[in-house]
Amino acid sequence: MSELAVAMFAASTDSHLLDEPRSARFERFRAELDERGVVAELERRGIRWVARGDHLFPARLRTIHDPPPGLFIRGTAALTVFDAPCVAVVGARACSAYGAAVAAELSRGLARAGVVVVSGLARGIDGAAHRGALETGRTVAVLGCGVDRDYPRAHRTLAASIAENGLIVSEYPPGVEPTPWRFPARNRIVAGLCDATVVVEARERSGALITADLALDEGREVLAVPGEITSLLSKGTNHLLRLGATPVTCLGDVLAVVGVEPSRPAATALEPRLEAVRAAVADGPAAADELVRKTGLSAGDIAAALAELELVGAVVQADGLYRVGMPMS
Amino acid sequence: MLARTVTHALVGIDPRRVEVEAHIQGGVPAFAIVGLADRACQEAKARVRSSVAAAELEWPGTRITINLAPASLRKEGSGFDLPIALAVLAASYQVPAQSLEGHAAFGELGLDGRLRPVPGALVAAEGARHAGLTHLVCAAESAPEVALAGVEPVGVRHLGEAVSYLRGEHEPPEPPPPDDDFAVLACVPDLADVRGQERARRALEIAATGGHNLLLAGPPGTGKTMLARRLPGLLPLLGDDAALEVTRIHSVCGTLPVGACLVRVPPFRAPHHSSSVAGLIGGGAGSLRPGEVSLAHRGVLFLDEFPEFQRPVLEALRQPLEDGVVSVARVAARAVFPARIQLVAAMNLCPCGARGDAAVHCACTPERIQRYREKLSRALLDRFDLALTVPRPRGHELAGPPGERSSVVRARVLAARARLRDGPPSRTPSGDELLERAAERLPLSGRGHARVARVAATIAALAGSDHVLPEHVAEALSYRLPKEHGE
Repeated sequence: MSELAVAMFAASTDSHLLDEPRSARFERFRAELDERGVVAELERRGIRWVARGDHLFPARLRTIHDPPPGLFIRGTAALTVFDAPCVAVVGARACSAYGAAVAAELSRGLARAGVVVVSGLARGIDGAAHRGALETGRTVAVLGCGVDRDYPRAHRTLAASIAENGLIVSEYPPGVEPTPWRFPARNRIVAGLCDATVVVEARERSGALITADLALDEGREVLAVPGEITSLLSKGTNHLLRLGATPVTCLGDVLAVVGVEPSRPAATALEPRLEAVRAAVADGPAAADELVRKTGLSAGDIAAALAELELVGAVVQADGLYRVGMPMS
Repeated sequence: MLARTVTHALVGIDPRRVEVEAHIQGGVPAFAIVGLADRACQEAKARVRSSVAAAELEWPGTRITINLAPASLRKEGSGFDLPIALAVLAASYQVPAQSLEGHAAFGELGLDGRLRPVPGALVAAEGARHAGLTHLVCAAESAPEVALAGVEPVGVRHLGEAVSYLRGEHEPPEPPPPDDDFAVLACVPDLADVRGQERARRALEIAATGGHNLLLAGPPGTGKTMLARRLPGLLPLLGDDAALEVTRIHSVCGTLPVGACLVRVPPFRAPHHSSSVAGLIGGGAGSLRPGEVSLAHRGVLFLDEFPEFQRPVLEALRQPLEDGVVSVARVAARAVFPARIQLVAAMNLCPCGARGDAAVHCACTPERIQRYREKLSRALLDRFDLALTVPRPRGHELAGPPGERSSVVRARVLAARARLRDGPPSRTPSGDELLERAAERLPLSGRGHARVARVAATIAALAGSDHVLPEHVAEALSYRLPKEHGE
């Protein structure tokens, strides 16, 4: 079977194909297709093609019930990244500052522990997950369009840095435009590549929930980050938890699921001055002004302490509110 | 008979000497003004004629020609009324012509002969001084301004008074004493009105000390405007030269506070976000007028709803922020206006304004937020040394005790400014090490790096330290631009 012909034919006919269709039209298409020329052109543009039959094709993805005929791959990393434990970190595009912070922090920790973070390069949670992972390790972006499309445009520079340090993959040949039906199809690849899927924030009807469903269908682990019960952004994740998804309360929860030992960064004890401020932040998200009142320190001292805590990753700031970083275990 | 008076026209904020010649000759009664006079200036005919009658003087019943020389310079405004009237009176022997020697004149006349003040008296007086004239006949209200330029003001209330002064029958009244600067300072709102907001108050103090531009982001109603309005009260009073520069601009624009003469308190300007490029930077058809950046010269320009300003307006701000002057060129004229400003900008965290406010749900899509923030270019954001998010204060904070008074903060600012001037705090290896670590970890751009170093030096000076210590660098880091603004 010619997987490349199937992939190209599916793209040219806007259809979803896994195997060779029995049609005269496909036969004509294959006869006219110059496969060597296509591969050479892809190579010239720095894009790799790995067919489903190829031994380099990600093993986990091959076992799902509808694996793509192959993957178009942009980026410099070796395909052996898929042999490492992979975790999908997905969620809402319109996420809260809290959700973005958790996604970034979680991905940073996962990547540091050697786990590959897979996501969809969308805005919001996906982008935060990629960014976090890029800081400490490897990440893979799965697109619902050609790998050369850089969709969404706002993530063009992010895509470039992922291509430098990780991989951008798609079942669609270069040039294919993003269309709505391709995103759920993309999500099956996100779920299929991974041992586990973490949903950080999702509304009641969210693409991230599709990814979670697909992961469940394949018997993969699904985890969800608990959120406020009054927030619309937690409806989807809390629903998953009720259905039996594993709650994510710390980095260790995710690492345990994929069987990776957490690699703790040399935990240096904080100075008492910083520890006092960190403890005040640990009570709940707080603006700097509230911390001034809680600790009795001056605004200047609080600002300095918060900046130092941010530098060591002990607290994170979003929209003027400070909260403690992701617990390790 | 031909008579001549001297006055000064405004070109931008500079004076140009204009000679007003009145020629009375026999013939059919007529009154003509030549020499590129604009509409307001042409209308002087009616005002001058009625004033002369109101002052119980005689209007020559023959042909009168007024020439405003140089004839190629466009003359605008009503400040020519008085010199035209005096020239006519001198030409008709009702005022001794030699009494006008050493005198310039400037002012608008009412139909009852009353003299009205006209914007730009200070500039006209400076022109008179450069032209070697010793006296300026002007409206009584303009006398304090004229005195600033080192020219003897002849402040009169009525054309008749001016005539009797020139005839040597009457001395003009003494100008009123100038206002007490500290009384003016008391009119600036006090920082004690701001409750809570410790972080923002601290940032304001640092901004006042180092002259840093400040970007405030936060939901509406969190006191961003209130804080910005209190910045001038923390800044040192203007020195003589600076005060004169500022007063000149405000004199030309007619924005001098009533009764004030020398502007000692740094000005505060807050143009609306619908302002045009010409309104903000300066310009206009015909003669060029200073814009808001020049009105805020040596003071504070506050731009609320910063991203709502039109993009060309925002980009036009970059040059004055960099150079401290704006040069405006039109086909007809060009002008350079001083524009050394401290910029304070305020914005919401998202277009609907709910973001950052725990009490309201923000319905903005990521695309909308992105578009909102993308309106501010990197190059523009680079001009802000301090950026901070002002969250909504909780109810009990607003009920708390009043904060420190402006005068207390101001004393600290002045001391730290003196320290920065005499010998700025030196860098230390431990401070540098923290900065390098932050640059790597955050990451910080080259410009961001320089900004943090600048702010750290200011913080060290405020702390009374001779060295920039790690805690100063750390605090400076907390005021960096957030990542989503493109750091």
